[in-house]
Amino acid sequence: MELAKQVRILLISSVITLIGNWIFTYRAGNPVNPLQAVLGVLILLGVVVIGLTLKNLVPVKLPAIAYISLTGIILSLPWTPGSAFFLEHTSKVQFLALCTPILAYAGISIGKDIGSFAKLGPKIIVIALLVFTGTFVGSAVIAEVLLRATGVI
Amino acid sequence: MEKIKDFKLHIIAFVLVVISEFIGLRSFQVGPGTALLLPMLYALIIGMFLGPKFLKIVNEEEMSLASTYIGITVLMLTAKMGFNIGPNIEVIASSGLPLVLQELGNFGTIFFALPVAVLLGLDREAIGATFSIAREGSLAIIGDVYGLDTPEGQGVMGVYICGTLFGAIYFGLMAGFLPSILPLHPYALAMACGTGSASMMSASSGALAATFPAMETEIIAFAAASNLLTSATGLYASLFVGLPMTNKLYEIVKGRKAKKAEEAA
Repeated sequence: MELAKQVRILLISSVITLIGNWIFTYRAGNPVNPLQAVLGVLILLGVVVIGLTLKNLVPVKLPAIAYISLTGIILSLPWTPGSAFFLEHTSKVQFLALCTPILAYAGISIGKDIGSFAKLGPKIIVIALLVFTGTFVGSAVIAEVLLRATGVI
Repeated sequence: MEKIKDFKLHIIAFVLVVISEFIGLRSFQVGPGTALLLPMLYALIIGMFLGPKFLKIVNEEEMSLASTYIGITVLMLTAKMGFNIGPNIEVIASSGLPLVLQELGNFGTIFFALPVAVLLGLDREAIGATFSIAREGSLAIIGDVYGLDTPEGQGVMGVYICGTLFGAIYFGLMAGFLPSILPLHPYALAMACGTGSASMMSASSGALAATFPAMETEIIAFAAASNLLTSATGLYASLFVGLPMTNKLYEIVKGRKAKKAEEAA
């Protein structure tokens, strides 16, 4: 998909995010209205555009998310000039408020795969439980070994 | 025509977001821990009922359009994740070896879950389903590398949805239950609570803290630090190590399965 079309979709979803963020923060008792958060959303949007552009420009084949995440990290490092400004504004956009529109699109799209999901259904639940258990137990065992080796416990 | 469909979809998403945010965060007691229900969960569930099978508000074409929007909107979240990491870089850098390396435990799950997934008859869906714990970053990775419309995409969406629906509850139960059967130190278990998902982390560390009330502060601190690290390093680890490793293992397991089938025939 061309960049202009992606940006158009991002702009629309940004409006949805701003309203969602308003309600979210209002419910949390510290309302941030869309005007207060608009700069934060635009900074995030700018980072996405930079990431997508870098992906096309840099000859090393890396997915766009690697560039996007890296750009966000660099802009928010304590020793980056202006990082306080970027953080002040992006912190007004709640992580959870950014998740809700994504899951709304996800919910809508799932209906399409309902057939394959029904087929995958019980199996995917078994696999999900294995993945969760494996990650939890695996991390705990490695942490235990290393905590003992380093004498913390 | 496409513009109208487009517009309708965004309006629907907007309505879903407004309803979900108004319902707001809800928490309830599960065993010794607290499970958290997030607005995104409501948006997902209501959205699932809009298709031709149920409420008939959206059609097939609009549904597939919606799936391309997931891959794009998740990029904003990836940017936000970056902004959470930068200010904490020093904490992360000084977190000590155990905290950093326990991340590798996430790869253990590949060897454990991928063969089962293939045995259960999944094809390339198995790769998306088992290469990571399938949180938002994983959606972004698969969306970017394969697209969410592919078998790999269906795999990661499947586990992601399971995680969103009952991940927090399951992690809460697991963290409350495992200390009684595994001889692991509460600090080690606390580090394992940091999966990169805020709801899973708060449910599991809450349950763990309730089990070991004397160590509550340390447990919450280790869990939060580990969660932060996972969100910082997890994306890169899954992208550059987890996903290639899963692909390799998939080929090996698949090859072996084909050979067995041949021998049996």
